[in-house]
Amino acid sequence: MKRNPFPLVVLALVLVFLYLPIVVLTANSFNLSRFGGSWEGFTLKWYGQLLNDNQVWFAFVNSLLIAAGATLASCVLGTTAALSLHRWRSRLQGIHYGLIYTPLVVPEILMGISLLLSFTAVGMDCGLHTILLAHITFCVSYVTMTVLARLQDFDDSLIEAARDLGANAWVSFIRVQFPLLLPGIISGGLLAFTLSIDDFVITFFVAGPGSSTLPLKVYSMIKHSPKLPVINCLSTVMLALTFALVLASRAFQNRRHPKAPNGRKHGAIA
Amino acid sequence: MKTPRLLALLGLSAALFAGCGPKRPTLHLYTWSDYLDPELVAAFEQAHGCRVKIDTFDSNETMYAKVLAGSGGYDVIFPSSYQISLMVQNNMLRPLDKSKLPNVTTNFDPSYTGVILNPDMTYNVPYAVTFTGLAYRKDKTGGATVDSWACLDNPVFKGRISLLNDFRETLGAALKSLGHSLNSTHPAELKQACEVVLRWKKNIAKFDNEQYKTGIASGEFLLGHGYSGDIAQVMLEDTENIGFAFPKEGFTAACDEMVIPATAREVELAHAFINFLYDPDNACKNIQYICAPMPNKAALAKLPPEYRDNPAILPPAEVMGKAEVLKDLGAANKLYSDAWDTIKATE
Repeated sequence: MKRNPFPLVVLALVLVFLYLPIVVLTANSFNLSRFGGSWEGFTLKWYGQLLNDNQVWFAFVNSLLIAAGATLASCVLGTTAALSLHRWRSRLQGIHYGLIYTPLVVPEILMGISLLLSFTAVGMDCGLHTILLAHITFCVSYVTMTVLARLQDFDDSLIEAARDLGANAWVSFIRVQFPLLLPGIISGGLLAFTLSIDDFVITFFVAGPGSSTLPLKVYSMIKHSPKLPVINCLSTVMLALTFALVLASRAFQNRRHPKAPNGRKHGAIA
Repeated sequence: MKTPRLLALLGLSAALFAGCGPKRPTLHLYTWSDYLDPELVAAFEQAHGCRVKIDTFDSNETMYAKVLAGSGGYDVIFPSSYQISLMVQNNMLRPLDKSKLPNVTTNFDPSYTGVILNPDMTYNVPYAVTFTGLAYRKDKTGGATVDSWACLDNPVFKGRISLLNDFRETLGAALKSLGHSLNSTHPAELKQACEVVLRWKKNIAKFDNEQYKTGIASGEFLLGHGYSGDIAQVMLEDTENIGFAFPKEGFTAACDEMVIPATAREVELAHAFINFLYDPDNACKNIQYICAPMPNKAALAKLPPEYRDNPAILPPAEVMGKAEVLKDLGAANKLYSDAWDTIKATE
């Protein structure tokens, strides 16, 4: 039997295009040469510069604050939106769905400039708060869609059973529906966090004085900075952190559900 | 219960945001990335009991679009000269109070008057001047002297040259090589320049704005049309092999300046900051950080020899007269972009 080599070739190409740039970037973060054209020796000096670069850390903290705030707010708003969209079918809800759906398809640049114009129209100064508002605006849509998908295979009779057994609306939501929806909310939240932390276009428009986020800072460094390798270091550090987080959450899940083949069934009625 | 914890977190983040509103005054700068010595910023904060926050932009156009759309609150902005007249026309700038800028009045180097667009300095104070010239590998010139745009035709460098991917710069170089002004708006002169660039195109490797620094550093390119500030950075890494030449026919000069926007809140502090940067010791320190000269006579005199003798940082006095500033050409810009399209489309 002869194997078709095509899938292997595709796999190899995908791996090369996905991971080679990351390998080059990581290698260059240790390269003595500022311009990365050739390998001139191992150094940690760019990491030293990164540690001492207050502006980068300031932007990093801004990004984290905004991503955390936007994730929390959009999880709450997105979940309630999904619940109401799921429960009621009316013309008003049709419009509601349309409104939620729009930010997913509107080009980012359009959203950015229109947000900036409306903020200035009401006399609002730009800053962290306007970035937060803008990020919540687009994150809500993503959370809503994820939770809505989860609600679609939700068995409503579970709530009826809970009510039947004497739970009031609040208790049945908190003890039955919420735990079942939680994986959807969490994945929506993770999506929102990722989108918020690396958004450039919208953030660029609504950022004000003293509110540079990491993507804004990195972009201006790429265009105009003698300290280009510092970006490589920063990316390497973030990459390592991401891997560590993923590995940690895997380990955590395995410990919690050593036998359950499918995590979401576990804990449903607990 | 999850809800109180959520609320607490929201409250916490709100408190953190509110914490950004300082009691000390805050000076907001809007500038290019890594374009100011952080030690000077710290010194200014200490001396004036204020905080300095820096936001960065990547091009004049994006900065202009944002400020024009109403993003206020910046106190000092660092645009390039050509952007300033446009900002003045739109009433975006505040006239400077010269009485609060004694360091500028005393230390400004008049030999730079020719290379700044608005020498009356009503709205602007020059921050740093950069020039466009030719970077070359001293070790691989094959005996040729690099001092003229004619080098771009030299077969010694064939396939190892990069030209700037910028129509004003590259057509400007061609115009200069023909003895015309690089702000020429004569269609006939531009046509000649277009032919020159087409001839150069046969001898070069590519048009490029970013990677040429890497190319020169690694020796992939032997000749690179580039900005003095960028080349100075490369030269600091490899002083032996890399040189910078000002073509004798003339070349471009560009200046980044400091302006105070009309929407600035800390006008006093903004003036104090500009004045602080023009202090000779501070300016001298900053020039070494950014590798481009601020037209400050006392500061330039204080530069250590390795900076003073680097032509990419401090051009010799005799070549300064050959520099010409790029002006905003308004409608005539189309002549350039059309010529550039022809150049790009021709194989």
